[in-house]
Amino acid sequence: MNPDTRLKDPLSLRVTPWISFIGFFVVWQLLIDTGIVPRILLASPAEVGQLFIDKLTNPDPDGAVLLTHTMVSLLEAVLGYVLSLVIGIPLGLLMGWFVVAEGLARPPFEMIRPIPPVAWIPLAIFWFGIGLTGKVFIIWACGVVPCVINAYTGVRMTSPTLIQMARTYGASDWQIFTKICVPSALPMVFGGLQIALALAWTTLVAAELIAANEGLGYLITMGRRLLRPDMIVLGMIMVGLTGWIIGNIIDRIERRLTAGLERGGAAT
Amino acid sequence: MNAALEHPTTVQGLQRHKSPAAILRRLLKNRYVLYLVSISGLLLIWHFSAVNFATSKYMPTPWMVLKELWRIAHENLAGKDLLGHLWSSLHRVLIGFAIGSAVGVPLGLFMALNRYINNLVKPVFDLIKPMPPISWISLAILWFGIGEESKVFIIAIGAFVPALINSYNGIRLVDPALYDAIRMLGANRWQTMMEVTFPAGFPALFAGLQISLSVAWSCVLAAELVSARSGMGFLIILGMTMSNPSMILSGMVVIAVTAYLITVVLSKVEKWVCPWKVELPQ
Amino acid sequence: MTAETVKIECRNVSKIFKQRAGTVQIPVLDDISLRVLENEFLVIVGPGQCGKTTLLRIIAGFETPTAGHVLLDGKEISGPGPDRGMVFQKYTLFPWRTVMANVEMGLKLRGMAKKERREIAGHYIQLVGLQGFEKAYPHELSGGMKQRVGIARAYANDPKVLLLDEPFGQLDAQTRYLMEQETARIWSAEKKTVIFVTNSIDEAVYLADRIITLEGKLPGRVKSSYTVHLPRPREHIDKKFLELRHQITEETELLL
Ligand SMILES: Nc1ncnc2c1ncn2[C@@H]1O[C@H](COP(=O)(O)OP(=O)(O)OP(=O)(O)O)[C@@H](O)[C@H]1O
Ligand SMILES: [Mg+2]
Repeated sequence: MNPDTRLKDPLSLRVTPWISFIGFFVVWQLLIDTGIVPRILLASPAEVGQLFIDKLTNPDPDGAVLLTHTMVSLLEAVLGYVLSLVIGIPLGLLMGWFVVAEGLARPPFEMIRPIPPVAWIPLAIFWFGIGLTGKVFIIWACGVVPCVINAYTGVRMTSPTLIQMARTYGASDWQIFTKICVPSALPMVFGGLQIALALAWTTLVAAELIAANEGLGYLITMGRRLLRPDMIVLGMIMVGLTGWIIGNIIDRIERRLTAGLERGGAAT
Repeated sequence: MNAALEHPTTVQGLQRHKSPAAILRRLLKNRYVLYLVSISGLLLIWHFSAVNFATSKYMPTPWMVLKELWRIAHENLAGKDLLGHLWSSLHRVLIGFAIGSAVGVPLGLFMALNRYINNLVKPVFDLIKPMPPISWISLAILWFGIGEESKVFIIAIGAFVPALINSYNGIRLVDPALYDAIRMLGANRWQTMMEVTFPAGFPALFAGLQISLSVAWSCVLAAELVSARSGMGFLIILGMTMSNPSMILSGMVVIAVTAYLITVVLSKVEKWVCPWKVELPQ
Repeated sequence: MTAETVKIECRNVSKIFKQRAGTVQIPVLDDISLRVLENEFLVIVGPGQCGKTTLLRIIAGFETPTAGHVLLDGKEISGPGPDRGMVFQKYTLFPWRTVMANVEMGLKLRGMAKKERREIAGHYIQLVGLQGFEKAYPHELSGGMKQRVGIARAYANDPKVLLLDEPFGQLDAQTRYLMEQETARIWSAEKKTVIFVTNSIDEAVYLADRIITLEGKLPGRVKSSYTVHLPRPREHIDKKFLELRHQITEETELLL
């Protein structure tokens, strides 16, 4: 649908998203209020909202205020994520262009690649304990794979014509790599960043659920231990919200950086 | 690089008359030589870091991992052998995946075909989508207890999201020119759906199922890491609690191999069900 | 041409595209009137972006004209239908179907028995010179071959009118020349009413019974009409051919 038809949508089509959105919360609230779903199984939106306000300042019963939990999770995620970018992207770019780099880096990479990120958790905890280092390691291990793959594919998909052209102008291998392959790989690299981020965030939550004493995953686990569904739901919402916000930030940065690279529509 | 030192026979056999530098350069261009160097280098570093340094307490040698793999393949671990645990995990994955995609695929299709359904489902779906499936584990345990159901629930949620997104996109992104072509040939609405909508959306739909299955495999591990009495996730967490790194690593090997086999099988299946799909140039 | 029955008629067809809820109006076609006789090969020539595709899509029934009527056999058309066949500017084969299945698609939709439609499709695959490629998938074909399949697919459905929208625009000069010859041959073998859109005057003179030129800027209007009396098969270097080509070139802004 192109934008001009959307404006002319009938009223019924335009209100359905709102009906659905509001209806979702109303039904949820009613299910709890009427007792159809018992309070020990689920908290109502109102209760979650109340807890949210309360947890802004109150560290009980899990030992930290909401902002601390969020910041702890964010710090772990961002550290591991940045580390995986710093190592994964250059590695992938080099692997895409230089035979030596590919030959040497590929076998270990192919061994790590099929390991689901969460499977690193026990090893990381065993090696580094349940603190920051272990989490950062886990995030790094799961973020590095999509970074390498996308950077590598991005370089590999560089238009051969561009490379040929540079060759005829006498560009060196290194020049072609930095001036042509790297810029043209950028959109793919950003795709990798998004994938890595989603993976990192998911894996971090899993890690915190298993072993932590702070962080949003920990909040969710404590909610279960204390039989507090409102804490669980609040934790889940914060996890979803934070992940969504970081995703949008990356999206913004991507659009800034790749604005000039957008290809025009194909000729009709 | 001491590639030349490691393969003296090849070097001599290939070009006796060239200077060592030229030979080296040539070898460094050969992918397989590099792979060999890389793998042996990796194993060597691994081995020596496991026997020599302070890391040895945390790091078993490759050989120890192999032996451990052999051990857990035979011995009984918390009521099951390795294959038993693997099957527990796979069993959960299959059920959860079946449920998740059985809900996600039709819902995605209906959303793509009918804008009312889309407008009703999408806001709620967008609320659920950003939450990692594993974050449901606490609620799932409250709701279903620590048995099979809570794990299957997590897996189903994990499989549901990509299944829905891809079947939706697969159908929405069909080239409109193909619709023109089939209408020009006289197709009615039903025929248009059967001849264009579904086949054109199928590759994306199938890709979604592939993602669903690998997400499901991650989810089952995560769920088993949190609470389980069996399964591969349980096995590696058992290795952790018993402070047995060989066990963790051999479990990870089995997990990785399984994940790898799943992708291989699915891409074979894909080639078989959509032979028309053009492959990306490697 | 003996039978002078009018097959397709456009009466004062205009088209205005509205964008952004009607705030922007793009007039694309203005008061186009034309007639196509039975079994006539009409070529419409115009430069890029002058509304050629739009006109053809209106005749095909994909777009409704803002004003005016399109008649097929004296009856106003409503929507696309198998009585008209179209070969699109962009290759639009069904990628999941083999060449054979693509060509027989129209017949299959009509519910024809498999054996019968195989026979018909086979005939047209032969006619466009693709025998041996029946089992190939579109991605295994070159551009020229894809367009041949497109032509065979349109022909096999036995439409009353065949609409071709710059079918060879994406081909290299050599293949394009070859395809023009093939088109002339196929048309001579199985006469049909054809509306062929192109931006090449050379192509037009080579193929047409009659040529209609459009103005070079929006909105598209009919500029002039030429009847081509040259005998077939035609030669690009024939004196009369060159004369006509020169004349049309003089009278249009087209440089081709
Ligand atoms: N659906 C549409 N909505 C709005 N504008 C359109 C639409 N279709 C075509 N146009 C406009 O109509 C004009 C003519 O388009 P058309 O495709 O008919 O030209 P054409 O002569 O076929 O060009 P070409 O030689 O490049 O194929 C263009 O300026 C285009 O932007
Ligand atoms: Mg056009």
